[in-house]
Amino acid sequence: MNAPGFLSTRPVFVVGIGLHRYQRRSDETYVSLGLTAVREALVDAGVDWTDIDAAYTGTALLGMGASRIMLSRLGATGIPMTQVENASASGSSSVAQACLEVASGRSDVVVALGVDKPRGGLGAAPGEAGIANLEAGSIVPFTHFALLASEYMHLHAVTDEQVAKVAVKNHRNGSQNPFAQRQKIRTLDEVLAEPISGSLTRLQCCPVGEGAAAVIIASEDGINRLGVDRSRAMQVVASATKTEGLYAEGVGIDAALTAETGAAAFHEAGLGPSDLDVLEVHDAFAIEELLYAEALGLCKPGEAASRIESGDFDIGGSCAFSPSGGLLAMGHPIGPTGVGQVVEVVRQLRNEAGSRQQPNARVGMAHMVGIGAVCVVHILRKP
Amino acid sequence: MTTEARHPHLLKPTNPPIIVGHRCISCEQIAFPPDPYGCEKCGSPASNFESWDLEARGSVRAVAMVYRHHRPTPPTPFTVAVIDLVGGPVVKAIVEGDDAAVGSSVEGFLVPEDQDDVGNVIVDLRFRVIQ
Repeated sequence: MNAPGFLSTRPVFVVGIGLHRYQRRSDETYVSLGLTAVREALVDAGVDWTDIDAAYTGTALLGMGASRIMLSRLGATGIPMTQVENASASGSSSVAQACLEVASGRSDVVVALGVDKPRGGLGAAPGEAGIANLEAGSIVPFTHFALLASEYMHLHAVTDEQVAKVAVKNHRNGSQNPFAQRQKIRTLDEVLAEPISGSLTRLQCCPVGEGAAAVIIASEDGINRLGVDRSRAMQVVASATKTEGLYAEGVGIDAALTAETGAAAFHEAGLGPSDLDVLEVHDAFAIEELLYAEALGLCKPGEAASRIESGDFDIGGSCAFSPSGGLLAMGHPIGPTGVGQVVEVVRQLRNEAGSRQQPNARVGMAHMVGIGAVCVVHILRKP
Repeated sequence: MTTEARHPHLLKPTNPPIIVGHRCISCEQIAFPPDPYGCEKCGSPASNFESWDLEARGSVRAVAMVYRHHRPTPPTPFTVAVIDLVGGPVVKAIVEGDDAAVGSSVEGFLVPEDQDDVGNVIVDLRFRVIQ
């Protein structure tokens, strides 16, 4: 039984999924990227654009007014369109808004998409807040996570090689994903080459390119009215969003926030960590997968590295971590990333993931964190 | 000629240097960096803050040598660390040398960074391992 929550008041389902491959910045416009993903999602769901009641566009880099000039090329139907920005979790928050819209009863069929193109820098607002710090720009995101890696490895006697094995696994998964930006199997030696910061190397840091992802969210009324194939509709049983609280000095905010948001999502779903078959996690940097595996309760503190080495988080293990390749291999085009995670979870729950299929997948989670700090978690279940 | 800190509201260029934080009079929360807006613990406005001196001394919680950087300064490689200050707050800062490790005791010192139009020396804070 689900705990009371807006998603149990009026159940919502993902009925269609679509992607534009994540790739290095190209001459392709964001409009073309986004339309590719939305058209694929419509075909996948077997619905028409005129069936869509509302649209949410997750994007962090494009600037204002991105939605209509893109989506009106499917037909200027005049539906409500809202742009959602929540840093790296922008796409995740577009999914959350679409779920809320359908669960509230205001709409029956809503599209949530993510689309972005790199524009040279993230343009993050916290840097404009007028709060200076001692490090004065010397600590960029990869160094923030290199420092977390240093603390974790010292505390748990974990080696550089053990952390690097996260990237070996996720590059292997990405090699099986035609939508991934990086599609090469990498050896441990390759992953350990080209240091960037601390123990983190180039292949332990995600590529930030361009792409698009879309999901169609529908109510049971919408599914019945449009004759959608129920066997391919996966239920969203939790949607949790939290921001960083005030933690004790020195506590790693990303993991603490993940623990809180994950717990809220598990509570809403009436499920626990051991129920997860698939987990798309915010592995922008290899160390994060270890931190979040523990924060989400998939294993005890300090155990994640040995669980990775044992193959327990491989496809075919107890819970497949980042079967898409994760941010490390599939890529992190910012706006699309959180939507793309939901696409992968749905594909896995439908048993349509081909060579990277987690056997008997019934429950999956999508987890993103973003600058701010924000965290968004969705749990999906095969009905 | 005088010695001035690059960020005077963060650093007093004394010997030894002092890191400047704030203390919330309402809830006694001590924080760094000093905040111009309000208290994250109790929500008091910054008018309820008093300036709070922190010794530039502590122990290394985490350390990383940075090999790639998007700016010419500091030149790579350089070392950054998360430092538990003896006065409570945790700061991130550049550490000189390559001998810092988790658990190392470190102290702050001033390095000349620049000179202004009238010859004043602009200094910034670095940490180093105490042998």
